[in-house]
Amino acid sequence: MPRSASRVIPPRPLRLAGGAAIAVAIALLIGTTFWSILSAATGQPTAGSSTDIGYLIYITTLQAALSTVFSLIVGVALAWALNRLRFPGRTLVIGLFASAIVTPGIIVAFGLLAVWGRSGWLGGLGVPVFGLGGVVAAHIILDAAFAARILLARLDAIPEARLKTGQSLALSPWTRFANIDWPAIRGTLPGLAAIIFLLAFTSFPIVLLLGGGPAVQTLEVAIYAAARLDFDLVMAVKLALIQIALCSAIILASSALAPISTSLDRPAEPRWRDAGAAHVLQWLVLALALFGFAAPLLAVLADGFRGLGDVLTDRGFWGAALTSVLVGAASALLALVLGLLIAAARAATTSRVARVAIGAPAYAYLAVPAVALALGAFLFVRNLGVTPDAAAPLIVVIANALLSLPFVMAALAPLFEAIAQSRGRLIRSLGLGGVRQFTAIEWPLLARDVGLVLALSFCFSLGDLGVIALFDTQDFVTLPLLMVRALGAYRTNDAATIAALMLLLTIGAFITLPALFERLSRART
Amino acid sequence: MLRFSAIALAALLAFGHPAGAEDKPTLTVYTYDSFAAEWGPGPALKSGFEATCGCTVTYVSAEDAISALRRVQLEGATTKADAVVGLDTFIAGDARATGLFAPHGIDTSGLSFPWTDPDFVPFDYGYFAFVYNKEKTPNPPASFEDLIKLPASFKIVVMDPRSSTPGLGLVVWIKDAYGDRAAEIWSGLKPHILTMSRGWSEGYGLFLKGEADMALSYTTSPAYHALAENDTRYAAATFSEGHIAQVEVSGILKSSPNQDLARSFLAYMASPEGQKAIPQTNWMYPVIDLGAELPEAFGTPPTKQLPVDEATVTANRNAWIEEALAAIR
Repeated sequence: MPRSASRVIPPRPLRLAGGAAIAVAIALLIGTTFWSILSAATGQPTAGSSTDIGYLIYITTLQAALSTVFSLIVGVALAWALNRLRFPGRTLVIGLFASAIVTPGIIVAFGLLAVWGRSGWLGGLGVPVFGLGGVVAAHIILDAAFAARILLARLDAIPEARLKTGQSLALSPWTRFANIDWPAIRGTLPGLAAIIFLLAFTSFPIVLLLGGGPAVQTLEVAIYAAARLDFDLVMAVKLALIQIALCSAIILASSALAPISTSLDRPAEPRWRDAGAAHVLQWLVLALALFGFAAPLLAVLADGFRGLGDVLTDRGFWGAALTSVLVGAASALLALVLGLLIAAARAATTSRVARVAIGAPAYAYLAVPAVALALGAFLFVRNLGVTPDAAAPLIVVIANALLSLPFVMAALAPLFEAIAQSRGRLIRSLGLGGVRQFTAIEWPLLARDVGLVLALSFCFSLGDLGVIALFDTQDFVTLPLLMVRALGAYRTNDAATIAALMLLLTIGAFITLPALFERLSRART
Repeated sequence: MLRFSAIALAALLAFGHPAGAEDKPTLTVYTYDSFAAEWGPGPALKSGFEATCGCTVTYVSAEDAISALRRVQLEGATTKADAVVGLDTFIAGDARATGLFAPHGIDTSGLSFPWTDPDFVPFDYGYFAFVYNKEKTPNPPASFEDLIKLPASFKIVVMDPRSSTPGLGLVVWIKDAYGDRAAEIWSGLKPHILTMSRGWSEGYGLFLKGEADMALSYTTSPAYHALAENDTRYAAATFSEGHIAQVEVSGILKSSPNQDLARSFLAYMASPEGQKAIPQTNWMYPVIDLGAELPEAFGTPPTKQLPVDEATVTANRNAWIEEALAAIR
């Protein structure tokens, strides 16, 4: 089918130009970041730190690869179980699962310890939490549930007719998975793999917290040390470029894959239950996942509600909450618009080179180390003659939007591909223009997932700590920053409460936004 | 409305800057985030100083003091900073080498210890130590070698020297106490190191959650638990090798047009009134004798103290970090 696609896809030069312009802008922004840092570095003495970079690259790559593979396996199993099973509280469970990826990693790590640590609920079992296993486990909690959420949307969209045919053929649960489910999720996996790899590769505090010492660390610690402790900016840029080069290999591999058609139907009430062993296995997967993923998050919530009064009566908290919500909302909208434009452009061409060129920069920003982002943005704004502190809110919104762009792409790009392929002929025959194509055909099919995408990027920006670091943070305080401040001032209870409230806000967004857009999409048709 | 805007515009043109700035000078202080935050000493020092200076104090905060220094370095002579508050023993050498700081010219003879540094003025200090829970660990180790002899199940949390000041402090501490034997001590510690966290707060959090028996912190940490939480279970282990101090200092920038004002602020921070604001917000010792004003919970500094030579630290920092990391990798 992809072979004939070029004749099917309507020509959309404006879309291509728009997507290409954004891709170029992002690439330029990354280039400017490094150029700003390098030009500030001239004249700096190079301390020549000889940290064991080779080992750091090896262990970071290994850790990221393991995190990616296991997250995808667990994610597929969980999506499969959730697609089949119906039970009270299912919406809440799905919301809880999806919220993990955007929760600050440190919160999840502490939740994991509250369950498995030596003083945790199940500490008596003596499960080793520190070391490579612990880091990978934390990343699975963060990323597998997210993968499951995205994959579930694809499974839920399998056309009812297809399911009816399968049911009438009495396919076995395995044949059903291989012939009906797998084709529906295959197209989404490369994008997910790229995101999970990038998140795991650039994960910093969580790796140091659970890594158990220098044997399991991350390249970012060396970049951070070069930029901050040694002030060897040339070294910092070199290391950052190594990180980007490694991550780019994964990004390019995933963007170069040929588009795979994805189905677009609405979720129907399941009438076809897998029988016997498969049904038992689904419940088992769900029970394990509920326990493995939800328990650490519940521990965070339980831990947080002791000091609730102190935090809620603090004016600083409400200010930070408002700032966070505004930053989150602005970043989410910006990310959505950029994501729509890029995904639409990518789907408007069948040239592999063009697809990579348009799609890859959207992911690349996530591979830039946080310290380089902050430093580069600071210098760039200064070079423009703007006070960095005045520009901080704008920079934080833009940076967060770009950081959450991969999530938008992972969710929306396969849909645009599918629409171009399955509805392309119809669009051509009706002679629709680009705008009508969007309002009449694409939006009604996308709207459901737009809620999920907004929730993802809203919460990702809400929990972000990376970009804000180098700016004056006196009058621009977000919830994660407030949490870190409380931790730094020995106020662990306040920090736990703020963490719990952030988690609640996140879960709330994941339940309400997709439901809202689901209703909007139904209202349109 | 239109007339009002016209007047405002005229006023703006006449004075070159918005009305309301009056002629009160602004003192811009670069510092670390937890110093300026609502729980830190910043707010009290600001209002105390503003009561007499006829000026406005503005804090510009970075993640930590090293980042504040790096920001000044990036900005060079065009920086808005008049002073940098919160540099310490481990970064003072770097700061001095930038040539951006002016001699402070403050009389430091009233401090509770001799101070001869011409560029930087101290405002508080603390000693690195391992903090433990007296109920869970009734017999804490009394030295690094004691700690090494304990069973491997006795866990400590330390911080990464590349990302955390206490983490760097431990590297210097062990090197200072053991010299050529430092690598041996580190490899002895290896089985006890639960993890090497990015920053002090997560590492100390691990300890408070009961994941480790001791955490690298300060001798003054138990005072926080005793005074703010009424919890007297925590104590700092005294090591027979002696302890090293982290002295927090401030400096005035050469490029500042408000050097006199900055000098007054730094002097105010070291004055009895300014010093009173520090112990129970920064949880460190004051640099002058506060007598009964310092709560008993702070205890007394360790009797055996190891000297820290700034030049040696600055020159060998990276080599020592490499040595420590290699020993426990």
